Amino acid sequence: MSRQHWCLLLISLGSLLILVFSPFVGLQGVDQEIRQTILHDIRIPRTLFAFIAGCGLALCGMVFQAMFHNPLATPFTLGVASGASLGAALSVFLGISFSFLGITGASLFAFAGALLAISLVYGISHLRYGFSGETLLLTGVAVSFFFSSVILLIQYLSNVADAFQIIRWLMGSLTIVGYYEIWQLLPFVLITAAVILLLGRELNLLSAGDDIALSRGVPVKAVRYLLFFTTSMCVGAIVALCGPIGFVGMMVPHICRLLIGHDHRWLIPASLMFGGGFLILCDTLARLVIAPTELPVGVITTMLGGPFFIWLLLRHRRPHT
Amino acid sequence: MLIESKQLACKIEQVTLLTDITFSVAQGDYLSIVGPNGSGKSTLIRCLMGMLQPSAGELILNGKALHSYPRRALARQISYVPQAVQTQSLAFTVLEFVRMARYAYHHPFSEWQPSDEAAVQQALATTHTTEFICRQCNTLSGGELQRVMIASALAQQSPLILLDEPTTFLDPHHQVAVHQLLQTLNQQHGMTIIEVTHDINHASQHSQHILALHQGKMMWHGEASEFMETQRLQDLYQQNFIFVRHPQTGRLLALADES
Repeated sequence: MSRQHWCLLLISLGSLLILVFSPFVGLQGVDQEIRQTILHDIRIPRTLFAFIAGCGLALCGMVFQAMFHNPLATPFTLGVASGASLGAALSVFLGISFSFLGITGASLFAFAGALLAISLVYGISHLRYGFSGETLLLTGVAVSFFFSSVILLIQYLSNVADAFQIIRWLMGSLTIVGYYEIWQLLPFVLITAAVILLLGRELNLLSAGDDIALSRGVPVKAVRYLLFFTTSMCVGAIVALCGPIGFVGMMVPHICRLLIGHDHRWLIPASLMFGGGFLILCDTLARLVIAPTELPVGVITTMLGGPFFIWLLLRHRRPHT
Repeated sequence: MLIESKQLACKIEQVTLLTDITFSVAQGDYLSIVGPNGSGKSTLIRCLMGMLQPSAGELILNGKALHSYPRRALARQISYVPQAVQTQSLAFTVLEFVRMARYAYHHPFSEWQPSDEAAVQQALATTHTTEFICRQCNTLSGGELQRVMIASALAQQSPLILLDEPTTFLDPHHQVAVHQLLQTLNQQHGMTIIEVTHDINHASQHSQHILALHQGKMMWHGEASEFMETQRLQDLYQQNFIFVRHPQTGRLLALADES
């Protein structure tokens, strides 16, 4: 077996162990009957939910990093998550409660917001012929700021209950009861994972550069639009249900690259498994730090992600040749 | 004719980069595209690659419009070696990278075939890159990386290869190595080569035809041996040249006159 086999095996094993054991953490000394209820109705669904969301976030982050040849480019740094948040906040503000084919209005609004954000960022940074990674990231920051200010405006205009709901949700949380949210999220993550798994070779070539990808036979535009669409859908669904949980999509794929290399045929399953386990771990941490109360998981991931971002910035600054 | 360009023009954001480019390249030909900076050489290569859409005129590959080829089919006909500056941060190993060039022969569920491995091994052997297949591309020197880029293009097994300034950033030793490699590909493997270059001496000695571009227009197109002419070079580069004869081959060499 090659190094990549071992890495993937260990990552998967680690994630599955986390998945199996984390629901029991912090249940010592609880009465047997209550314990069963907590496990079945709260802990197990929450852990599964964290796993699925983590998989989706890590995959979307990985795709963005490959497409834009930059480890700092993720749906969160490029404003896609802000777009999705704006969509979801708007649906709370407008009191949207319809659903379409079983998909909630909030998810649809978040998806529309995500798609709008990525079109804006990609469109603006390509307005001038010859675009650079810096332009893209700066455009992402600008779009992100703009959407955040609109979210603030919506909060300001909302009544107290709605405003509180929006704030809590903006912190990113995986607190669910029962399995409804899981069924809301699972199809999106599954579709996204399937599409991305099939595009491993294309992602390899895209990460080597658009010119190389094109000349090796990749229909770059079509692949890029397909990936924009699926990742927006996935990020939209996750943000609508859990709020913007930042930095998972930046840290996980990058750590996986250090472990398993840059070949996406390995990197995709590795990021998927690592992402799931990682978010459960963060969520368990969020439950335990100030027990019996808990922190929103977004606070934990962002606290880890900030320093990681700075480390990446310093690591990738090379003298110009 | 392998590839034909008929009154090709290219515009980006209302800026005309190429106008009225007409030429053809036969199977087994070696065409050098020369011209000053900003004359449209890279734009022409990118049009031939199908990366840029011509705004007028047409490109014909094997008797069919170039833009009617699906991407994969086009990649089986034309391969491309980009300018060195674009390829410095590749994080793949050499073997991984060269194998990736077999993309056009695969679909998502296809297995790696012995014919793929054979193409990769032959490409590595031809370019003398077999010895560093396990190294990361971003740790290679400029000359090594350029040979790997050519190996990757060869693994595509296309009859036509386009190169954008393949020797610009290389030291003389590696320049000669790349030049000899291109000669071998052209003469022994029968590959058709189109190369953008600033090295007019190399172009006039080693290629069969030369196409000179000036401000997006074709200034001259003909046999490489007839290219060297005082007035032509002066018009092309706005620079005086002096000519000397190569002591061994007897062909004319141009030196920029710095006095």
